[in-house]
Amino acid sequence: MKNNKTTETTFWDQCRGKIVSRKGGWIIGKGAFSHGYDINKDCVGEISYFQLMILNATGKLPEKKLADWLEAAYMGLSWPDSRLWCNQIAALGGTMRCSAAAATGAGLLSADTRLYAQRTLIEGINFITRALAAKKAGATAAEIVAQECARYKGRPYIVGYTRPIANGDERIAPLEKVAIKLGFKNGEHLTLAYQIEAALKAEYGEEMNMNGYASAFLADQGLSAEEAYRISLISTNSGITACYLNALERPPESFLPLRCSDIDYQGPPPRDVPVKES
Amino acid sequence: MDERKVKNRNTEFSAKISSRFWQEVPNDDNPYIADNYRCQGYDLTQLAEKRSFTETLYLLFRGELPNQQQNEILQKLMIAFINPGPRHPASRAAMLAGVSKAAPSQLLPISLSILSGEHLGAGSLEKNVRFFRKNVAKDPKEIIADLHLQLSNPSPSNWEPIPGFGMRFGSIDQFSKKIAELLLPLPGAGRALKWGALLSEHLQEFNLGWLPTGVTAAVLSDLGFHPKAAVGIFQLISAPGLLAHGLEMSGKPLTTMPFLEDKDYRIEE
Repeated sequence: MKNNKTTETTFWDQCRGKIVSRKGGWIIGKGAFSHGYDINKDCVGEISYFQLMILNATGKLPEKKLADWLEAAYMGLSWPDSRLWCNQIAALGGTMRCSAAAATGAGLLSADTRLYAQRTLIEGINFITRALAAKKAGATAAEIVAQECARYKGRPYIVGYTRPIANGDERIAPLEKVAIKLGFKNGEHLTLAYQIEAALKAEYGEEMNMNGYASAFLADQGLSAEEAYRISLISTNSGITACYLNALERPPESFLPLRCSDIDYQGPPPRDVPVKES
Repeated sequence: MDERKVKNRNTEFSAKISSRFWQEVPNDDNPYIADNYRCQGYDLTQLAEKRSFTETLYLLFRGELPNQQQNEILQKLMIAFINPGPRHPASRAAMLAGVSKAAPSQLLPISLSILSGEHLGAGSLEKNVRFFRKNVAKDPKEIIADLHLQLSNPSPSNWEPIPGFGMRFGSIDQFSKKIAELLLPLPGAGRALKWGALLSEHLQEFNLGWLPTGVTAAVLSDLGFHPKAAVGIFQLISAPGLLAHGLEMSGKPLTTMPFLEDKDYRIEE
């Protein structure tokens, strides 16, 4: 074959046929490693699974108390209520006899949304970080609220401070108790979050939600928005699986069956398929 | 710390699911059984009898049947990009899932997830279609002038300086160029495809050109697909190839695909 190669491909040639990892791997006969830790010697029985999960997601091994707090926070995002969107998807998987992994995977993928669950932490942390910078520049909590609401024509749309379906969030108080029990003190982000909540409540009657609390708490622990998102990817997992099983344990297609007339058809009336142009 | 009170907002949700394109005609005896389906008002059995798959696909998303020219270009596009090929990461995901004996029903969900990426994947289609919609009235030279500095300093990570246009492994993607050239003379070729071809010509001096996601976006934009629909249509177009690659591996032993030796797996400090 004639070799007339002129394009410079050294970069890709160097990447070809090998993997370079900054994260770790399994060296057969020597051990499995994560970020410099020997998983079997340093991790198994020594640290919690949540610590290892945070290590893999951020590259930093956290103190156990942060991993324990996160584990408690997961419980607030994994309610087995089959009406909730991600859970209902898994339940539909159950009624159609999908595998547990397929239904749970579909539910988890659907929870990667900007409306609820882990992805909202990105906007939540970005907001509280921005708000803290504004506070340090002299703004009051009320001014921060007014400025944010002005972006939405005066409506109180601040991620972390209004909640769809209900106002107020019963998940915050138990987590506050967990934080105290674990020895956490309120940092500057969380302190500001409470001030924002007070200002928002006074002006609009809206309260902080789990996302607002968790975003401020995690920002206080030094996590970036992306890191907070990445340590929370499977926070809805267990509730999703439970809802899948609830439907799986009942006859196929018996989860919310629909009659034809249950669909409100709003499209064109019946028509004949036209003769194809020649 | 006080317990927080939770008040139901009593948000009004719809009592029924609605659809503007699909109607199921109930059986007189059993309301859960449909006697017939209508797509945009057309009886599905009539469509099956008289129309092709691509015509029905177009109808589903656009509301009306395509004319012959529109159908022709859509069909050729779907053939051209039916398979991202065995080197594409989405295909390799299907192959890895197949060879490691994942269920055949999971081959598509797995590989389509990888095809959802923004690099040569469905994740870029919405942005690409919007790019054509926004810029098609401009002189392509304007786009190049605006990005001149960026275009003149390429790097391995600066692979797509213009949505849908860039380089692959340091070169113009010859196959995408060939497909664009195949589609351009068709009567169904529209403004975006023609404009993209001009832009691509001007980009040659920077060693840049059409990417598969650019050609697809241009054609789908010309056919009037919504940018969000284009994302899924791109996945749909590639799905047969991905499935075929996964299935090809699923009957073979685990050793059929490479597993790098330790010497080729380096853990950086």
